[in-house]
Amino acid sequence: MRKLIFFFCAVLLLSSCTVQKPLYSWAKYETASYNYLKNSDEKSTQALIDNYKKIIEKQTGTRNVPPPGIYADYGYLLLQIGRTDEGKALLLKEIELYPESKIFIDRILKMLER
Amino acid sequence: MKNISILLFAIIILLSGCSTTTTLKKSVAYEGMYKELPLTVLLMPPINRSTNVEAKEYFYSTLNVPLNNQGYYVLPPFMTMEILKKESAYDAELFLNGTLGKFGEVFGADIVLFTIIDTWDKSAIGATVTITVEYIAKSAKTNETLYSRKGTIVYDTSVQTNAGGAFGLIADLALSAINTAATKYVDVGRVCNSYTLKDFPAGKYSPTYNLDGEELSGAKDFRVRLNSKYK
Repeated sequence: MRKLIFFFCAVLLLSSCTVQKPLYSWAKYETASYNYLKNSDEKSTQALIDNYKKIIEKQTGTRNVPPPGIYADYGYLLLQIGRTDEGKALLLKEIELYPESKIFIDRILKMLER
Repeated sequence: MKNISILLFAIIILLSGCSTTTTLKKSVAYEGMYKELPLTVLLMPPINRSTNVEAKEYFYSTLNVPLNNQGYYVLPPFMTMEILKKESAYDAELFLNGTLGKFGEVFGADIVLFTIIDTWDKSAIGATVTITVEYIAKSAKTNETLYSRKGTIVYDTSVQTNAGGAFGLIADLALSAINTAATKYVDVGRVCNSYTLKDFPAGKYSPTYNLDGEELSGAKDFRVRLNSKYK
């Protein structure tokens, strides 16, 4: 019987769906992102900006850096509301953190210069 | 005694089934992924064949999180969408069976992810939403399909959590403009994407990058019942 209990515990331990700590934290990104996608009004834009800030400043994921695309999309949003310098700086930050984004982001930066 | 152990064993198997897996190793099921080891993912706007006109947005706004969490570089979704619109490439259907080299050139994408929402049906009393969705990731280099899964997900809307669930979000003032139904359906999109894409082999930024080939893959076709508690 003891053996059986031991076996039971071992299987339970092994089988439990271990939820690993995620690489990144996202705050309420998905809802904010949907809301902006849907409405693109002042309120949803501000909520998305606040959410980007939270992801960058209060990052609790295991990699301890903002997830891919966050600096870039944040920068692009600022460009659209006329905060050009801040926006460009954020696009460059994305390349610095994720060099694989260079092809795409360089293209966007060139487009802006036109 | 023997009966008890058989019973126990059966219960354990029932309890331990975290997800339906096959006997196929990931390195076999997704052979091309391990061969190409892609890093950069381009999300195509979902192809919506369902009767719910908003399903596309529910899915698009929740696609990048699970793949980034798996260790990939997902191209910034809003920037990507703008450029796809400008280049008249917003209709993903046009590229589903086409050549994808252009996406590698313009976006630096290694793979292109297509999402096809076939059905989105609410049950009569509204307690469940049943979604049939297919995900196809293709190589931008060879146009080969590297990952595909199709599933029917029954989302139980009667189960809600306060921790990060739909009702938790409503309390957030900044997001109060969004109505209850929309919040709930964003979560449907999140759960579908998260469940189906978690079988992706780990990407470059994951500690298990290129080390998970021996793990068993999830079923290629599946049916599962989930709710907002699914992470």
